[in-house]
Amino acid sequence: MKYDVVVVGSGPAGSVTARFAAKAGAKVLIIERRQEVGVPVLCGEGVSRKIDAWGMLEGKRWIASSMDGARIYSPDGTMVKLSAELAGNETGYVLYRDIFDQELARQAVKAGAKIMTNTDAIGLLKDKNKIRGVKTKQFDDEFEIDADVVVGADGVESKVGKLAGINTTLKPKDLETCCQYTLTNIECKDAYCDFYLGTKTAPGGYIWVFPKGKDTANVGIGILASLSKAGLAKKLLDKFISKDPRLKNGHPLRFIAGAVPVANPVETVRDNLILVGDAARHVDPITGGGLTHCLEGGKIAGETIGKAVEKQKFDKETLSAYETSWKEAFGKKLKRNYMVKEIMLGFDDKTFNMLADSLKNYKFEELSTLSLLKALVLKHPTLLMKLRPLMKVSSEL
Amino acid sequence: MAKLKAEVDRRMCLACGGCISVCPQDALSMHGGKAFVTEEKCISCEICIRICPVGAINWRSNR
Repeated sequence: MKYDVVVVGSGPAGSVTARFAAKAGAKVLIIERRQEVGVPVLCGEGVSRKIDAWGMLEGKRWIASSMDGARIYSPDGTMVKLSAELAGNETGYVLYRDIFDQELARQAVKAGAKIMTNTDAIGLLKDKNKIRGVKTKQFDDEFEIDADVVVGADGVESKVGKLAGINTTLKPKDLETCCQYTLTNIECKDAYCDFYLGTKTAPGGYIWVFPKGKDTANVGIGILASLSKAGLAKKLLDKFISKDPRLKNGHPLRFIAGAVPVANPVETVRDNLILVGDAARHVDPITGGGLTHCLEGGKIAGETIGKAVEKQKFDKETLSAYETSWKEAFGKKLKRNYMVKEIMLGFDDKTFNMLADSLKNYKFEELSTLSLLKALVLKHPTLLMKLRPLMKVSSEL
Repeated sequence: MAKLKAEVDRRMCLACGGCISVCPQDALSMHGGKAFVTEEKCISCEICIRICPVGAINWRSNR
């Protein structure tokens, strides 16, 4: 089998890459290890409203609910409310990720790509050191797929990158280990995404409640893997649910686990190879959100590959247009937020409480870095010390 | 005595891939929809055991 492009993984980044490469005329195959695109879901299912402007998805079936805003709770329960406009950057919709992924895969096929399910990439085909395709396995059959470009869209595991010689192994301090119930028979009074912070609640991460309707929500936790012990994420989540009056009578419709890279992005281009999405570590290190980068980065990757196929040039230099463009689109944000993550990890509960107390009556409409810092520091002058490294980061970038 | 190796309880594994992404020896991979430890590569560092969100990885019991 010979294709211009073989995409390993049918998640959002893989499907969007495949779609725009196919649209540009490339012969594209997506291989998917699982038997069904989008299943099992491995995600909190919150996404920014930014995706509306890109118009990549038809219909509304992939939306479970639209959010009016977000609330962040500090360890002592102080609440900071973010309006839809502000919170919408991260939490605009709660999704049905399986339907979302299948809609993006459908669009890829509509553009001309093919999909093979139950097909696992078990190695890269190489001539000397030149990548020329992937070795795959479908049930008991092993076969080779030749391709000029291999796209690693294989998520947090990022094995394709590893096989190509890129060090994609994550340090535990750069991984959020997560689990989540979809609970029903609970009370969601309003369409707000709730976030709970605290070193005891969720060390190095947070607990979230994302409503999917009046009586159902995704209730999940992410903790930093370097602060984790065996099964700790589930234990902390169960404890939280049992103590929350809204949630304690809930029953699970689903229980899932997840792993979210909160690392600096890796090298994403080699000769004949591109990494996208979680495999490229295109995740916001503060929020753990990655879907917008999958769509934005996937489009750039697909278009870059389209041009490469046109020119029949697949070397690193040609494909580097992708890396340059994603860095321009969201690379700076990822780099800055990684530094902010590192600084915030040093915050104790008292600092988070002071931050929340300073911000609880802050009118976020007037959001500017200076007025925000003023509000923070006026009420709790000791925050100045804690926030100094953050100011340094914001002045550098 | 040989060091104990990590082992995934296939009944509990939810296939999130976290252990695979952090293993410094590339000893973990997905097999049949569940994480799997290649025993020969495992150096008993315990990272995968500690980071599993649901506690599905343990030391292999000597049977």
